[in-house]
Amino acid sequence: MRQSIRLAVFGSLMVLFAGCGVLDNPMEWFRGGNQSTFDVKGPVARQQLDLFYVTLWVTLFIFVTVGGVLAYTTFRFRQRPGDSDNPPPAQTHGHPLVEIGLIAGAVFLLVIIAVPTVRAIYDIYEVPDDDDMLVIDVTAYQYWWAFDYPDEDVTTANEVAIPVGRKVKFNLRTFDVIHSFWVPRLAGKIDMIPNRSNWLWLQADEPGQYWGQCAEFCGESHANMKFRVFAYEEDEFQEWIEHQRSDALEPDDDDELAVEGADLFRRRGCMGCHTVQGTGAAGMAGPELTHFGSRKTLGAGMADNTEENLFRWMRDPDGFKPGNLMALDPQVQNLTDEEIEALVAYMKSLK
Amino acid sequence: MQNEGIRSNVITDTPVAEPSKAAALFSRPTATTGVIGWLTTVDHKKIGIMYGLAALFFLIVGGIEALVIRLQLAVPNNDLISAQAYNELFTMHGTTMIFLAVMPLGAAFFNYIIPLQIGARDVAFPRLNAFSLWTFLAGGIFINTGWFLNMLPAINDAVPKIGWFGYANLTSTNFSGIGTDFWVFGLQILGISSIVAALNFIVTIINMRAPGMTMMRLPVFSWMVLVTGFLIILAFPAITIALACLMMDRLFGTGFFEPIFGGQPILWQHLFWIFGHPEVYILILPAMGIVSEALPTFSRKPLFGYAIIVFSGVVIGVLGFAVWAHHMFTTGLSTVAKTAFALATMAIAVPTGVKIFNWIGTMWGGQIRFTTPMLFAIGFIWMFMIGGFSGIMHAAAPADGQQHNTYFVVAHFHYVLIGGSLFALFTGMYYWIPKISGRMFTEKLGKWVFWSMFAGFNITFFPQHFLGLGGMPRRTYQYDADMGLNTWNMVSTIGSLILGVGILLFIYHMFVSLKRGEKAGNDPWDGRTLEWSLPSPPPDYNFAAVPNVTSRDEFWARKMIPEKRKLAAREKPEHGIHMPSPSWFPLIAAVGLLIGAYGMAFLKSDYDNFLGFGTLFWPILGLLITIGAIYGWAFEGPGGYHLHPEEEKHDKESSGKSK
Repeated sequence: MRQSIRLAVFGSLMVLFAGCGVLDNPMEWFRGGNQSTFDVKGPVARQQLDLFYVTLWVTLFIFVTVGGVLAYTTFRFRQRPGDSDNPPPAQTHGHPLVEIGLIAGAVFLLVIIAVPTVRAIYDIYEVPDDDDMLVIDVTAYQYWWAFDYPDEDVTTANEVAIPVGRKVKFNLRTFDVIHSFWVPRLAGKIDMIPNRSNWLWLQADEPGQYWGQCAEFCGESHANMKFRVFAYEEDEFQEWIEHQRSDALEPDDDDELAVEGADLFRRRGCMGCHTVQGTGAAGMAGPELTHFGSRKTLGAGMADNTEENLFRWMRDPDGFKPGNLMALDPQVQNLTDEEIEALVAYMKSLK
Repeated sequence: MQNEGIRSNVITDTPVAEPSKAAALFSRPTATTGVIGWLTTVDHKKIGIMYGLAALFFLIVGGIEALVIRLQLAVPNNDLISAQAYNELFTMHGTTMIFLAVMPLGAAFFNYIIPLQIGARDVAFPRLNAFSLWTFLAGGIFINTGWFLNMLPAINDAVPKIGWFGYANLTSTNFSGIGTDFWVFGLQILGISSIVAALNFIVTIINMRAPGMTMMRLPVFSWMVLVTGFLIILAFPAITIALACLMMDRLFGTGFFEPIFGGQPILWQHLFWIFGHPEVYILILPAMGIVSEALPTFSRKPLFGYAIIVFSGVVIGVLGFAVWAHHMFTTGLSTVAKTAFALATMAIAVPTGVKIFNWIGTMWGGQIRFTTPMLFAIGFIWMFMIGGFSGIMHAAAPADGQQHNTYFVVAHFHYVLIGGSLFALFTGMYYWIPKISGRMFTEKLGKWVFWSMFAGFNITFFPQHFLGLGGMPRRTYQYDADMGLNTWNMVSTIGSLILGVGILLFIYHMFVSLKRGEKAGNDPWDGRTLEWSLPSPPPDYNFAAVPNVTSRDEFWARKMIPEKRKLAAREKPEHGIHMPSPSWFPLIAAVGLLIGAYGMAFLKSDYDNFLGFGTLFWPILGLLITIGAIYGWAFEGPGGYHLHPEEEKHDKESSGKSK
């Protein structure tokens, strides 16, 4: 009975493994979602995944051998009826040769892991020598991200664009507490620590949208501190840069709601915290909004940038994203629904 | 029944020394039963029982916190609880489980078992032992006060919400409220308790061993507790200093961790992990010791490679101080530092692996009895092995760049701390509770407890490996529905409920066994170490005649080897065993710390118009009480009384007690 169960389990595992092509890509059956570290699209995350697979295979090997012996031992040497009356088994105390052999074996297996580990440390955590590298300064705030392109003279927030196939160096700074910059499909995380100059480099091999998230607990809305990385082909990237560099669009005169919103934006203190380039709004406490209407998300990658979500956000910032600064502003709390609709129209017009 | 029969055999004596008149004020209490008997006890066995009960209570508290966390995460974007409540819960869950459940549950066994294993009548410093207990309880009560304070209308920040690791500068007054002060002083109090207990056990194990109990004859559990003791006294000062700096930052405006004053938040991480990593071994080494006791007993064989198991325990303890920065691989360490800490971390896998090989070697060729404690011990080996493997994965620093602060890490350390430490502590409970209570438990229900915990645990935590590598960060109260994380989160929550049922079943099992269990007798397991030579429960003085130890596994040798049996039979009970008197002062000293801590927590808070909180009155009062209690402690009469175990050992269950 036991025998047949074990055979069945073993057999079904083999079928499962074979069906998934497990040897080529052991985690193929679990691709995960848009933050999966298995679905990698850049050299840094690729090297990290390859290293993970090395550790996985080595430990799996140990698990099967040691676990096999352990399972055999518990089965083979189980007490049998009558044993309690028999004399106890031989009282052996150990065997130096066995011990030394096992220690040597363990050291050998660890060396298999150690060599690619050290190589990857020097590949990933040294500044790459590349004149073509793009530099982006990231500053983390509770609970959003500011992105500056010092050479391109561009500033934006919560959504960052990079060119495909070029190395990008992110300088990582924080405004308040410790945060951590993480785009799982492109590279492992590096923390942003006050009074410390950290950086990481990464590269996207395919165009696309990559999800990022803060990976160090930073307070109430830590879970809502996300961002997006958009990887564009080089010419598209240059277009994006040009667009970001331009001043904000004035709302159409026909669009009365948006015009009213622009007016409210000035009168109700929004500009005290937010920058909208070309309008005189130059606040620094909140995210830059010059081309907000062209962004995919709002609230730092928290939700889709729809009119409905935008309305909910301004109606009840604390309910939408607990602990954010905007909720404390009495001007925001006093906005009427009509005023919020106007502000939403203005925000959406900032393409 | 049993006890009453025995008391008649005991002659009560007058106190050893009459206190002088000047010291009459400090005369020591005499009650050894009733509430006062428990409050003033210095008996390591009673203290051990109280440690154990308090730890089980906090295990349930921390478990409930965990279940609420899992319920919140069962479905995406759940709003069962608020972000703040979630942050409070995971902070208190971690703090509670580490400092108030697993550590004290280990301490319960240090207290109860060590003197019995080494042939001693008590620990080296019985009153200090009581002080450790009361200080631990004071810390546990203090750090949980916030849950009740938050019920007051004016207060909403009294529960810490900074994570159990309390990374600066989120702990600064700019970002967190009085809950952080509760956390700081609560941990300081618990640190005092741990350091005092560690010193006590180091001295006990080194100095109080029975004649002939050389270090290489010491039972492995006692050995591991000795190593743990050294880890505690070397590791806790680091967090004590870190907490003192943080306290000064918060209360007096120094700037150790304040960026605006040029402080360095990274400094906190180094100090914290210089404590925090050895703390992991503080939690796991005693667990390894327990398993190293149970496996030989239930295999009817000595421990395979005793010397190398002891030696690898010491090596783990030493190396444990050289790997702290592997918790900080993502903080921008230099490549050299990353390499060094990665390799040192991998090196720790060797002595750990050696232990696993030797445990298997112990069972090899034995006659394995699958009792409940043995199931937990074998379960421990399997689970600890898996936790060790994910540990090796973290040691590969670049791979850890993806794993760090994700659910992969959560899975890893729960495999080490539940599958490892807690399973081993359950091994210990099932193994030693017959000794402690004198009652056996039913195997059938015990197997239910094991299998429900084993299944629930794996269903909860194995999927978290996938969640972490699927990109789910830790300490997030919500996740989006389109991140591919929904299924495994639901599975994990279901598993946690099964695990919860298993633990409830265990509590029920203990109650039933205490009430209706069969008499255990001295040696229900065919044990190997000295505690099994004593009645269950052991008498106050433990050993009527101090044993003369001539071999490792002394009790087994006495049962097996006729010459040793003859030698043992020549040991005669002494005439009148000196017992220490109970004392109030350990309790009073701990209460003083508690009062002082409340005063300090409120010192710079906004809630200062209440009973003088916010002034130095309460801290000074607390300090005076503690100093006064230590003074009284020093000057109370020596006290003590004699017990006379019956002269003839015609009944092995002899025990005795005065009054």
